[in-house]
Amino acid sequence: MPSPDEVMTIVTQLAESWSWKMETRRSEPNRIDVVLPALKDLLPFVTGLRVQRLGYLSTITGLDPGVESGQLELLYHFSPGPALITLRLRVPREGARVPSLSEIIPSAESAEREVREMFGVEFDGLRNPDRLYLPDDWPAAVFPQRKDYKPNGRPAAGASGPSGAQG
Amino acid sequence: MEPRVEAERFTIPMGPQHPALKEPGHFRITVDGEIVTGASVRLGYAHRGLEKAAEARNWIRNQYLFERVCGICSHIHATAYCLGVERLAGVEVPPRAQAIRVLVAELERIHSHLLWLGVAGHEAGFDTLFMYSWRDREAIMDVLEGLTGNRVNYSANVLGGVKCEVDDAQRDAILAALDILEKRTEHYLQVVTSDALFLQRTRGIGVMSRRQAEVLGAVGPTARASGVPRDVRVEAPYAAYDLFPVKLVLDDRGDLEARVVVRMRELLECYRLVREILDHLPPGELRGKMPRRVPEGETVSRVEAPRGELFYFLKSNGSDTPERVHVRTPTVVNLTSVIKLVVGHQLADVPMILAGIDPCFSCNDRLIDVDRNGHASESWTWEQLRSYGVERYHGNRP
Repeated sequence: MPSPDEVMTIVTQLAESWSWKMETRRSEPNRIDVVLPALKDLLPFVTGLRVQRLGYLSTITGLDPGVESGQLELLYHFSPGPALITLRLRVPREGARVPSLSEIIPSAESAEREVREMFGVEFDGLRNPDRLYLPDDWPAAVFPQRKDYKPNGRPAAGASGPSGAQG
Repeated sequence: MEPRVEAERFTIPMGPQHPALKEPGHFRITVDGEIVTGASVRLGYAHRGLEKAAEARNWIRNQYLFERVCGICSHIHATAYCLGVERLAGVEVPPRAQAIRVLVAELERIHSHLLWLGVAGHEAGFDTLFMYSWRDREAIMDVLEGLTGNRVNYSANVLGGVKCEVDDAQRDAILAALDILEKRTEHYLQVVTSDALFLQRTRGIGVMSRRQAEVLGAVGPTARASGVPRDVRVEAPYAAYDLFPVKLVLDDRGDLEARVVVRMRELLECYRLVREILDHLPPGELRGKMPRRVPEGETVSRVEAPRGELFYFLKSNGSDTPERVHVRTPTVVNLTSVIKLVVGHQLADVPMILAGIDPCFSCNDRLIDVDRNGHASESWTWEQLRSYGVERYHGNRP
């Protein structure tokens, strides 16, 4: 198992040799963040990690930076041994379609299903896009982990979600 | 012979009630005769909205919230949460507190593995094993209660350290329990590898090769039973595991028997580790000073729960409540392996294979509030919930 420093070096080199500039930062002693500039970088970069045997995906975290940003952020956490690699991908808040990793990493499926229903990001190529946690009668287009969803069941006034979906 | 037609395939629902354990999960199994040809999963029947709820509670209250993600491995959830928050806040935790955290975590692993052994025995139709192992598990439950005051949800952790001290009387009680359990575990190890009926249900069933386990991302004893050396305690030691290193328990057969044997041998390793911690418990304080507000930042906290890698992502916005807490429990990744593994097996083997990963559905499910008829949802205030509980338990007393 490579040490965190070795992992950092491999990932930095992978990012530096990319066709366009890709920002990396060492956010913690054992953790490196890679900011993916575009959607189309995701699959090639993950394939690169798999080839380097660094492609054990722990999970995908959805983040909501706030309604005003008009965006959502996906964090793909890879944890080969003691090191952590976080790929950060910004997607538009509405109508985001991200390529699914489940073809190359089968366990990505449950993480993608979770992000899909909690944040409203669609994954292209997900074989079973069925809900994982939310009940069958949960209203469409209400995404409970977004910041504009208030736990009493209704998105806040002026929320960006499609109107009329809250029953 | 007539060729089989598509219409002969049946879809059999398993669950949501009691698919294998007394916890809810829904599996749709497609079968061709008795042979499984496909499976899919729906969870969420115990989803309680913890990740969302955390964003409305302060850092201290959240520790008690996340402890309640799971009743079996409550301590390890609190530990993952505390380690992450302490790292964000830059708090030094005294070595004695870290050692006690590891001590409780290993005691918890003992109770969890013994509980699982009973469930596995029950699923295999070996109820004697179930009853004996759960009887023996009481020894460790008494120890945990003596140490922390509770059988489950021990709350041994506080942010910055632990709340419970280990004195000589408790030390003796733990050692006495371990002596009993060590003998019993050796006996069980012999039983599960020699009882012909039990072996019929486990040997060569649900085989997962090392390559498969790696590709499917299996974690914990499920991965280690397929020879994958994946254990957070070993590869990224946290708390006091650098002082008390763990010996990796591996088996390369990858079948259900290997998953039983790995857990039994891990129990023996737990006993060794607990004795070592008790012998070399560092002296000193039990907690460091924890600020109310946590500086802006994000961190990842990974620990080894009894079922495998438990992953916490924590993001702070500099206030006294978290911006985001994301929990990835071991069962959710191990379920992927079940869905793939059951294909080609007899339908009757499905519950056993499911039980083989030691699934914990309460761990998976974390987010929901009551929503009836798809309309306005119903949420209760703390007072309403409290009076409901009081009425239910005390109102009917004569």
